[in-house]
Amino acid sequence: MRVRQHPSEAALALHAGGDLGPIARWRTGRHLKQCETCQEEVAAFQGMRRMVSELSAVPELPWNRLAAEMQANIRLGLAAGECVREERPMVFARFTGLRAAIAVAGLTVVVAVGLFLQKPSGTKDEMVLRATADGIQVSEGDQTLGMKHDAGIKNVSYSANAQGSIGESYVDPVTGDVTMTRVSW
Amino acid sequence: MVKNKNTPIRLLGVGVLSAAAAFAQETILPSTAIKINLPADSPVVLLTLDPRDSRFTARGAAIMVDLDALLTLRNTGSSRIHGITLRVVSQEVTMGGKASMCIPRLNIGPGESFPIHIVQHLVRPTASASGPLVEVSLDGVLFQDLSFYGPDQIHSRRDMIAWEMEAQRDRNYFKQVLALGGRARLQQAVLLEMARIQDRPQLDRPVMLRGPAATSAATVATERSERFAFVSFPDSPVEPVDGSAMVIGDQVSAPHVQVRNRSHVAVRHVEIGWLVKDQAGRQYLAASVPSSQPDLQLAAGKTAIFAQDTSMKISRKGQPLDIRGMTGFVSQVEFADGKVWVPSRQNLDETVLRSILPPSAEMVRLIELYRKGPDALIAELNKP
Repeated sequence: MRVRQHPSEAALALHAGGDLGPIARWRTGRHLKQCETCQEEVAAFQGMRRMVSELSAVPELPWNRLAAEMQANIRLGLAAGECVREERPMVFARFTGLRAAIAVAGLTVVVAVGLFLQKPSGTKDEMVLRATADGIQVSEGDQTLGMKHDAGIKNVSYSANAQGSIGESYVDPVTGDVTMTRVSW
Repeated sequence: MVKNKNTPIRLLGVGVLSAAAAFAQETILPSTAIKINLPADSPVVLLTLDPRDSRFTARGAAIMVDLDALLTLRNTGSSRIHGITLRVVSQEVTMGGKASMCIPRLNIGPGESFPIHIVQHLVRPTASASGPLVEVSLDGVLFQDLSFYGPDQIHSRRDMIAWEMEAQRDRNYFKQVLALGGRARLQQAVLLEMARIQDRPQLDRPVMLRGPAATSAATVATERSERFAFVSFPDSPVEPVDGSAMVIGDQVSAPHVQVRNRSHVAVRHVEIGWLVKDQAGRQYLAASVPSSQPDLQLAAGKTAIFAQDTSMKISRKGQPLDIRGMTGFVSQVEFADGKVWVPSRQNLDETVLRSILPPSAEMVRLIELYRKGPDALIAELNKP
C-alpha cells in the first residue's frame, strides 16, 4: 500500500504565497488536489497573508508588537497542526522539533520581511534643524534645505533662535564680506 | 491610506532606483534654473548672474541641487547701502523651510556694484520637479541712515539694524582706542579680542527639534524644570522678571520668560540671550529666546510672557552637557517706532558676557582687516 506523504508546513506556506519553485509548486498542487487537510492549511495561510496585507495598510501600527503576535500565532497554528497531523495515516514522523523550529524561523523571516516591505511609506518624519561642518540645514523625510559655506572656512559663529532658526556668520572667501546665513522652519 | 499590495513591483522599483543611483550623473545647473526676483522699484538691480559651480544630481527618487552662484548687484538708489538680505527659497520644497543670507556692513555708494556669493544645498523629490530650482528674492536693503526698503518678510529690517548698532558699537570702541592710545594700543586691543574669540567657551554645533523634547523611560527620571537667573543691565529698556525651561536628558525644551517694559515707550520685540552652565560652572551661549507674539505691543510698565515650543540638544565635544543652571539677559529690544536697543560694550564688559558671547559681524570684519596688516584696519577706522 502506498503511503500518502503530506508536503511540509513550510512548503504549504510558501505555496500559499505563490513563492514555491515551479517543480515544487507542481508537486504540491498535485497533492492538494487530493488532500482536503492540506487544502485547509493552505487556505489558512492565505487568510493570514490577507490579514497581514490589510494590517499593513494601517499607518502608525506598533510593528514590533505585531510581528511578535504574528510569530506567536504561527507557533500556535503549527502546534495545532501537529495535533491534526497525528490523526493522518503517516508512517514517518517527518515534522520533528528541529524541522518545526526551522520552519518557524523561516516563516518568521518571511512575515518580518513582508511587514517591512508592506509598511506604508510616507510616515511622518521628524523635522530637524542643524548646523553641519559646511552649513545649516533643515530636513524632513526626503527633503533638505540648507545654506552652505566653503568647508575650508575655519571661523564660523553659530547662533540658535528658540523660535526655530539657526544662523551662521563667516567671512566669505570669494567676496571678502562678512556673510550671515539663516535657515528656519 | 497607503496600500502597497504588489511587493514584487515595489521591489522592482527599488531595483530601478538603485540602478539610477548607481548611474547618477551630475549636471551643471544652467543660470535659467535660478530665478532672481527684484521688485521694479528696487534700489538694487542685477548686473550679472554667474552660476559658477552650481549643479544638480538625480539620485534615486531625489534631486540634489548644489547652488554656488555669484550675483553682481548695483546700487541704483541715491543712498549708501549698509546691508542687504536675500531670501533663498525653493517653492518645490513643501516642508516650509526658509533660508536667507545677509551681507551686513556693506558701504556701497550710489552707482557702485557689489558681489553676493550664494551657496545653497537642496534635496527634493523628483516628483515635484518643475519650474526654477531656486528663487532668490530681496527681503530688504538697509541704508546708511537706517532707513529700509523691502517686504521684510523675515524681519530683516530689525536684524540688520541690530547688527548695524553692534557694528557701530565695536567700531567706535576701536576708534576710541586708536584716538587715545595710537597704533600700539590698537594692536593690543585687537590681539585681546582675538584671544577672547579663541578662548570663548562653545557648545557643539546647534541641533534643534520641532516641538517639545521626546521623553523616554531613560530620560523621564531626569526631566526637570530649570529656572533662569538673570543678568540685568542698568540701561536696558526691558528687564527679565522670571523664566524657566525643561531639561530632559541632553535636551532643553520649551523656554518661557516673563519680561517687564521699564521704558517710557511701547516695545514690539524682545530677545533674551540664553546661557547654560555646566557642572564646572562654565557658561555657554545656547540660543536666544525671542518674543513669540508677532504683533507684540508691550506698553510702558507692562509685563508679558513669551514661550517657544522648541527643543535643543546641548552637547560639548560630543558629550551631552550636564546642565546645572541657566542664565538669561536681554540681548535685543525693538521699540514700536522701529528703533532697536542692543547691550552696550560697557554692559558686556561689566558682566561675564564679554567672555561668552560671540563677536559681532563687524568685529570679525575688523579683525580680518587687521590680519592683512594694521594699516588696513587703521585706514578703515579713519573712514568717515
